[in-house]
Formats: sequence, structure tokens, C-alpha cells
Amino acid sequence: MHTVGVDVGAITAKAAVLENDELVATAIILAGYDRAAAATQVLEQAMSQAGIAREKIAGLIGTGYGRVQVPGADRTVTEITCHARGAHYLCPQTRTVIDIGGQDSKGISVNQSGRVTDFVMNDKCAAGTGRFLEVMAHALEEDLTALGPIALSASRRVQISSTCTVFAESEVITHLAAGVPKAEIIAGIHEAIAARVATMVGRIPIKDIVVMTGGVARNTGVAHMLEEKLGHRILVPEQAQLAGAIGAALIARG
Amino acid sequence: MSTYPRLQSLREINRVMTRYYLQHKLTARFKPLAYITSGAPVEILEALGIATLYPENYGALCGARKAAVGLCEVAEAAGYPADLCSYARAHVGAVLRPQDAPLRGMPRPDLLVCCTNICGTVLKWYQALAALYDIPLFILDVPFQRTTPAEPHIITYVVAQMHEFVDWLEAHTSRRLRPEQLASVIALSRQAIALWEEILELGQHRPSPVNGPDLFVAMAPVVALRGTQRAVDCYQSLKSELEQRIAQGVGAVPGERHRLLWDNIAVWHRLYRFFRPFMDAGACFVADTYTHAWTVQLDAEDPFVGMAQAYTGVFINLNLPTRLQTITDLARRFQVDGMVMHANRSCKPFSITQSDVRDELRDVLGLPVLILETDMADSRLHNEGATRERVAAFLEIL
Repeated sequence: MHTVGVDVGAITAKAAVLENDELVATAIILAGYDRAAAATQVLEQAMSQAGIAREKIAGLIGTGYGRVQVPGADRTVTEITCHARGAHYLCPQTRTVIDIGGQDSKGISVNQSGRVTDFVMNDKCAAGTGRFLEVMAHALEEDLTALGPIALSASRRVQISSTCTVFAESEVITHLAAGVPKAEIIAGIHEAIAARVATMVGRIPIKDIVVMTGGVARNTGVAHMLEEKLGHRILVPEQAQLAGAIGAALIARG
Repeated sequence: MSTYPRLQSLREINRVMTRYYLQHKLTARFKPLAYITSGAPVEILEALGIATLYPENYGALCGARKAAVGLCEVAEAAGYPADLCSYARAHVGAVLRPQDAPLRGMPRPDLLVCCTNICGTVLKWYQALAALYDIPLFILDVPFQRTTPAEPHIITYVVAQMHEFVDWLEAHTSRRLRPEQLASVIALSRQAIALWEEILELGQHRPSPVNGPDLFVAMAPVVALRGTQRAVDCYQSLKSELEQRIAQGVGAVPGERHRLLWDNIAVWHRLYRFFRPFMDAGACFVADTYTHAWTVQLDAEDPFVGMAQAYTGVFINLNLPTRLQTITDLARRFQVDGMVMHANRSCKPFSITQSDVRDELRDVLGLPVLILETDMADSRLHNEGATRERVAAFLEIL
């Protein structure tokens, strides 16, 4: 039996195809402006990779901000529930999930069967999200994927005291003007994100194993500094960015 | 989306409240009018034949009629900071520009009565009003209730001020307070409060005949018309309508599946719209800390002691242990499956203990708790997308 989960997020659209319990195909594309088109495209890409026809799908669930845009979905489920299920699939011992996506970050408590028991989300602010990193990468003319390793290579971290993305950007410009090395600024930015997320996640009980999901999990700098702030080891599965789509595909099995 | 059955009695309550505002516009010329805070001893003014209006209630009305944002902007342009309570900003905006306000603003008052049992904002809000209107202001200082029951010296202090308050009102209106008049007003107040309590307790039935947003509409008389026959009449008919629902097994939310507890003031700018996703999922708000806040007891032998005890003990003037006790008691009695807390940007005294309450409910009672950050009247502080996500995820874990 094949089931599919499509996670249409703020920045990327993801799809995962499960054959019974096994992950057989995945796809990630930029969501762009037209969410319905992105959902269709990512779904088709995953299907062709899996080599199965649309009518063979036993269940399809949409998740993420654009979940209602997923064509032909049986139903929609929030990304909080899906990330919990996906993280549990990738690491069955997980009890705490930290999901940092394009426009929000979440802390989720899960039980042994991968069900959500509590959650917190960031409020009305882009600081501590993937968007924040994008804005900073742009301001510093660095590739988004290069940021994490640069942050970890710095010997010092400047303090970014502003908790607002817009103000933090002007703070970064001030540091650049003062001749602070770029790596130290980048390290400071990562620390600021980690501090913000750690404060938020602290509102739920943090139990091991802590798993990080979402696109920002690919950034080793954030994961590392979050470990420092929380005092817990953080497991980053290889498929972290796909956790929401995988969770949706699992729920689609019924 | 299912149809939501409306209560007939709510229409009548809305009519009574509109009449209440309009009537004051007419009587303001020959009857003294006071603006008072929601936790003030209105019984004394009622017994003296002084008309009363509540700027807070008017702030809620501005929120419900989607006029609050425009009025808040008027106040902000005049220098009132955006961090100030949205009731205060909306009301001050209406004072400054009545032509743009619901009912073309409230009639001009003769007196101002500010009781500090509900928050510190009212102190500055009423001082600003006193300056704007150039009229006398009485401040009834009610200390925070650190113990339960309140320490005796607090009651003595409040009682003494209440006597001063009577002298002040008599001097400004050339009226005399007759004890038998006060007794009969208090009796009516008690009757309305008792009926209100009985109405709230009906939420214990499965399915509940009443839902949170209905109660937010229904509470207006117990807030603004305490001590009058009109409040008693409103609640007699509401109570019988709810009892009829119980007899017929009709629930407020069709197909009630989840029973929830609500904390904090209503989200007036999208009252039923806000609760729609809950209703669609069969979740009914069977009890809340807001409407239960008006179940004060006025039954001491000395009416002034009774009022002092009642108004010192209002919910948001209480210490954390007593609040926790009140909330866990509601959760148990109404057999709720979870709690939704409105972290209200405007009302700090109501919101400040929420993290502790959340921990207690989650860790001791094992109930899921959702904290939603929005505002009672200023819709600019509401994030529709983020709220929708949280509500949907919360409904999935119930």
C-alpha cells in the first residue's frame, strides 16, 4: 500500500511516499508564489521517483501552511501533528521535537506512540526562523548552506541583542561597519536564534531524546548552539526537513 | 459547517443593553451620570439614583462593532501609547472623536468612580478622563488580596473608603443615601448574581446548554445592570430557556465531543468567528474564568462589609494559589477535557499568572492547555494565520 504526505511550507514544498512502513520516495522544491502549483509539482516529482501512478495511492494527506492547496488530498492535518509523527518515525525514542521552519519555530512534546501531548509556537515574529537566516545570508552575501559551518568556525561570537529580524539586520550592518569579522557576526546570529528558540521551547518540559526537524535542522550551527543553550543532546535525522511530509504519509495509512 | 443554534434570550439582552445606552443619553440632562469601573460598588450609586455607565463595557462594544481599531488610532495619535489597554484607548478615542464612535459616543458624565481592584490602568485612565472632562473623580483604593479570605485590615480600609465615597457622592449630587434603599438594591444585585451563578452551573450538563461566546454576550447585565430589576428579568428568561434545552437534551454545540475551559476576557472583535473552529470540532466552552468572575457574594450583615469583601475578592484581585484553586475547581466540576487561555495583550492582571496555571493543569490534572496571544478589542494584535494553526493543532490533540 502506498500513501503520500505533502507538506507545503512557507519556503519549500515537500513530499514523501511510503510503501507500507518504508520510505520509498521524497521530493523538496521551493514553494514559490503559487502554492497549488508547487503542491502539484512536488507530488508528481515524488510519484515519478517512486514509479507509481496517482490512482495507486491509498491515501494522501496535506500539511503545512499551504495544506488546503494540496490537490486531491483526503484531508489535512496540522504540521505540528505531522512533525511529531514524522520525528517519531525517524527516531522512535523521541519525546521532544524542535521544528524550525521557514516562518515559524515550534517545540512539541510527544508520547511513545508519536502523539502530541503539548506544543509551543513562536508568536508574530520571524526571529528564530529560517526566514531570519535567509535575511542574514542576504545581508552578508553568503550562501545559506555555508552559514552553519562558518558560525562554528568562529573563535568569538558578537552579541546580537535585538530580538527583531529587521532590527537585527541593521545591528549586523553596524557590526560590519565597525570591522567585526564576518564569521563572528554569523556566529552571533546563530546564537541569537538558538537563544530565542531555547527560551520558547523551555515552556514545555524538555525530555530526551530531543529531535530537530524542519529546514533549519540542516544548519549545523543552529543545532549545535541549541544543544549548548538547552543542555540536551539534539539528534538531527538525515530526513529532518521531510519530517512533516513523512508524518502526513504515516497518518494517511489510517 | 453546522448551524449554531442561537439563544432567543440573548437577543433580548442585546436589546436591553442598547436601550440602556440610549436611555442614559436622554436622562443625562436631568439625572447625575457617573462613569464607573467594572469592579466598583455600583449598588451605592444605584441606591442614590445616580445613573452609571461603564467605559470598559463600551470598549468591549467598540471591539464587537469593529470600531476599536479606528478609535485606538485616535487615542494613539493624541499620545496614548499603543501598549495601553485597548478598552482605555478605544474609550479615550471615543471621547476625543465621538462622531466616529458607536452610538456617537457615551453621554458626558458628571462624576468618575475608579475602583482599583481590577487593574492599575484604570487609575491613569480615569485621571485622564477627569482632566478631559474637568469633573470630580473618586478613587476607591482596593489592595491586592494576598490571602484568602482577605486580611481584616484590608476590609476595614475598604469599608472606611466606602463611607467616604457615600459622603462624596452625597456632596456632589445633593442626595441622601437611605439605608433601606441600599438594602433593596443589594437584594436585587444578589438576586441577579444568584441567577447568573445558576445559569453558569447549568454548563455542567452533558451536553452543555450554553457555550462560552453565548455567556460573553449574556454577561452584560450582571456587569452593568447589577441592582436593577432588568438584570433579574433578563436572567430569569435566559435560565428558563437553558433549562428547556436541558429537558430536550439540546446542546449549545451540536454533537458536543469536547468540553473546554476558557481563561481571560473574550476576543470581542471576532466573537463567534473566533469560536467557530471549536464549534465545528464539537468543542464547547462549558465554563470560563471571565463570566465566573461576577459571582461575588454580597451577603454580609453590614452592607458595607459585604461590598468590601465582595469587591476585594474579585477574581483578578486574587493571589495565585486562590486563582489556581478556582480554576482547578472549575476544571473538575465542569469535567473539562482541556483549557484555552487567552494571553490578552491588554489585560496584564488577568494574563500574568497564566504560565503557572498552564503548568498546574498540564502537570497535575493532565489536561492539554493552549495559550493564544491576541487582544480583547484591538484586532491589530490578532494574527489570524498563527491562531488558526494553534487551534487546529490543539483540536487534533484533544
